[in-house]
Amino acid sequence: MIRKILILVLCLLPGAAWALGPETALSADQVLRGRFHLERHLQGFRAPLQSEGVFLLAPGKGLIWQAEKPFAIRTVITPSGLAQDVGGSETMRLPSTRLPFLSKLYDMLGGALGGDWAALERDFVVEKSGDGAAWQVSLTPRQGSDPMAMPFSAIVARGGRFVESVTVAKAEGDHDDITFLDQKVSASPLAAEESAALGAPAR
Amino acid sequence: MRKALGLTWLLVVLTAGAYLAWQSAHGLPLRTDLMALLPQDERDPAAAAANDAVLQNLSKKILFLVGNPDRVQARAAAALLTRRLTESGLAEIATDGLGKDRLRQIGALYYPYRQGLLADADRERLLAGKEQELADRALSQVYGFMGIADARLLSRDPFLLLQSFFTSLPLPDSKLTLDDGMLTTSDGAMTWIFVSGQLTGEPYALDLQKALQSRIDLPGLAAAVPGTRVLKLGAVFFAEAGARQAIGESSTIGTVSTIGSVLVVLLAFRALAPLWLSLLVIGTGVGTALAGCLWLFGEVHVGALLFGVSLIGVSVDYSLQYCTEIFGRPATPQDRLRRVFGGIGLGTTTTVIGYLTLFLAPFPGLHQIAAFSAIGLVASWLTVVLWLPFLDRSKPPRHGAALLAAAMVLFSAWHAKPWKKARQAFLAVLLAAAFAGLFRLHADDDVRRMQSLDPGLAAEQDAILRLTGSTAGTQFFLVDAPDDETALSQEEALVERLRPLVAAGALAGFQAPAQYVPSAARQRENRALVQSRLAPLVDAQWDRLGLSGERPPSAPEDGWRPLTLADATGANGPLGFIRSLILHPGLHVVSLDRVTRPDAVTAAAAGLSGVRFVDPAGQFSALLAKYRQRALVLLAISGLLMAPVLLWRYGMKRSLVVMRAPVLAVLLTPPLLALTGAAFNFFDAMGLVLVLSIGMDYAVFCAETTDDRRPVTMLAVTLAAATALLSFGLLALSGAHAVSSFGSTMLTGILLAFLFAPWGSRPAEGSISPEKNAIWSANGDHRDSLGN
Repeated sequence: MIRKILILVLCLLPGAAWALGPETALSADQVLRGRFHLERHLQGFRAPLQSEGVFLLAPGKGLIWQAEKPFAIRTVITPSGLAQDVGGSETMRLPSTRLPFLSKLYDMLGGALGGDWAALERDFVVEKSGDGAAWQVSLTPRQGSDPMAMPFSAIVARGGRFVESVTVAKAEGDHDDITFLDQKVSASPLAAEESAALGAPAR
Repeated sequence: MRKALGLTWLLVVLTAGAYLAWQSAHGLPLRTDLMALLPQDERDPAAAAANDAVLQNLSKKILFLVGNPDRVQARAAAALLTRRLTESGLAEIATDGLGKDRLRQIGALYYPYRQGLLADADRERLLAGKEQELADRALSQVYGFMGIADARLLSRDPFLLLQSFFTSLPLPDSKLTLDDGMLTTSDGAMTWIFVSGQLTGEPYALDLQKALQSRIDLPGLAAAVPGTRVLKLGAVFFAEAGARQAIGESSTIGTVSTIGSVLVVLLAFRALAPLWLSLLVIGTGVGTALAGCLWLFGEVHVGALLFGVSLIGVSVDYSLQYCTEIFGRPATPQDRLRRVFGGIGLGTTTTVIGYLTLFLAPFPGLHQIAAFSAIGLVASWLTVVLWLPFLDRSKPPRHGAALLAAAMVLFSAWHAKPWKKARQAFLAVLLAAAFAGLFRLHADDDVRRMQSLDPGLAAEQDAILRLTGSTAGTQFFLVDAPDDETALSQEEALVERLRPLVAAGALAGFQAPAQYVPSAARQRENRALVQSRLAPLVDAQWDRLGLSGERPPSAPEDGWRPLTLADATGANGPLGFIRSLILHPGLHVVSLDRVTRPDAVTAAAAGLSGVRFVDPAGQFSALLAKYRQRALVLLAISGLLMAPVLLWRYGMKRSLVVMRAPVLAVLLTPPLLALTGAAFNFFDAMGLVLVLSIGMDYAVFCAETTDDRRPVTMLAVTLAAATALLSFGLLALSGAHAVSSFGSTMLTGILLAFLFAPWGSRPAEGSISPEKNAIWSANGDHRDSLGN
């Protein structure tokens, strides 16, 4: 499930990066913001779980994933760990030392931002198609799905300048469909609250 | 009469020999554990057993880091090493098969018992009435970014309490991460794979060390996978290097000192008899002493044996006193014995008194040394007195004059007028140097500095600790309770006190069995807590999650029972690693990572019955410090106890003069050695005990002699000092710190004692110079005390 974070973060990179290489990737002082809509299809649930909210990706600093509906759930992933809160009160805090994959995630993320695909291709078969205006990338785990280490059977991302949608398929037919909207790259500094969220070290 | 005594002594020696042979046939009861030296009342059987078990466990551990710039190559090399170790049968590898199955198995093990398992933080939330936070957390996990949502799991555990317990399990503090079934770390240039295991055999056994080295063949491994570096850590490797060093040393230092001593005796006497007579004296001494010790104590500690043998080594002085007499006025062996009888009798008496004072200390180790030395010295003395004259067929040598003249130089230096200025200058320089050394005098008993670690292996150890971020800590808490349940409850209380200390940085972490398997009482309490606080929230939670299907029954499931240690620690079970924390039912270990404030950590056990902080290295250092202080006190007492014998023999004034030499040697040695920057330790103190005995012997020999026998006595003392310096002084060159401490104290002390020896000798009337000193004096031996 941790790898899932990785994949999603990778998919959130501007689409241009996928097709054109690292020249147009986010630079260290840029920030990608946008809205998301997530539809989680799960067996045993009456209906798909739907949530929507905003996200922020700051290279080298981390990711803020803020669901607004139906519950205000914020997930913050930084190199030092993962923190989650519901309506402002913290529900989970995992330092990357407790969850070693989190620190590995950052190594891989760094590699991908620098155009190093080797890290990703070690675990996945990567297939790219289309051009910079409309592309599709599909990732298939090399070693098959496994509930503990590799909880996906396939990941497909589509986009143009940015990633527009991602489908994460899991074993037994469960899948997440994520749509990204209103994406903007800006060089403006982070808001104080965002900085605080990304800067707070996970203990 | 003398024959009868000699035969009686032969009978005693033969009896002792037979007893020894009988004991050896059953295996000599030699003890090697250092804690066996502790006073009986201070030695707690539980602590001793725990110490032994933990140290045993630690000493069998082997760790490797296999590094290669290429991840795939590193993994291949690590796999090869693991295979070699496993196939050799010499070690069981713990890092093998750390794949996904292990985690799944741990999950499967806990699942049936989940109702009683709560993470500490969750338990606190429930106790504080914050159950809504747990409900929100589950919600955030289902809806949140991570998306942990398994309807089957949620329907049985709608608050995801088991998962929380699972992630709260303590992991040893480490930089290692699990990468596709292998524990891995990276330092930028290299990928390092961690391989660890337990030896199946005894790490201190030489054959296992050799077999391990050849089977794992690290140079071959590096050749098979180019670019590979292997770092290793384990007592077995240090022991192997230590053994190599010891073997190397005994073949150099040992050879030099043996050949040197033999040469000194052979060159001085130009005959074989003194050599084998001396060996007979030492041999009967050691044999009788060992037999006597076994009979008295039922066992002998190796440490006591080593010191005891050194102390008996003094007995060679007595045989040299007798043998050197051949250079004196021609006489029968019995007459020659008569001349030295007073000197060696007094020497033996003062030395035995010195050693017997070791009995005053409540340390079993010192008792054994005392008994061993006293028995051995008396036995050696009896051999000299009762056997040597009968066995001795020596003829008067013709080369004596030059030797005797040379031996008299030292005497002249002390008593001839022309040397007066030089003498005073020598003493002034010595005293000034010692005074300067006083300011640098300090003690250091840290056992870690007593061992000499191979520098290459020590560097590898540092690299491994740095790369893995783990600690080489051997400190732990011992929990001693009547049964496992009580032990687990005590640990739960301890864990509650340790957690704030981790947050405060007093230690990096800890692992207690109760964190993996809570006490049954705690599990029942947890279950009741979940029932009372969370059951009312289940319906709302069900709706918020949007789960379909059957809601879980509000009543607890039937057939629940608490998880037990036996369930968790079964053979080949996924939690098998906890077994190393459980010594016996009720006797548990709580291991600690990187203790930076031992005082605060020790205080955590205050008031918890049966819970004790154990620091084997610290305790052993403290033991050495205690022994050091005791040895010094006993040294002073033995000096005082020798005084009455001297007073009886010499009167007040001369006694002080005779004692001056050995006492000065003892007092000057520590400050002089301190000038080199060396710290004073127990082994130095033991060296001083020997210096006092040996110095007293020399002084007594010099004082007992008569003017006509003086050159012979000086020659005997010179030979004794030369052999003592060769056999003990050379130990100063040893790479083992404890041995070299002992050796340098002996070297300095014996040299001083020898130089001072003639100081207290009664100056001859008239001028003293070797030329004028009559070697064959007509004076009778008026001090003979052996009647016919």
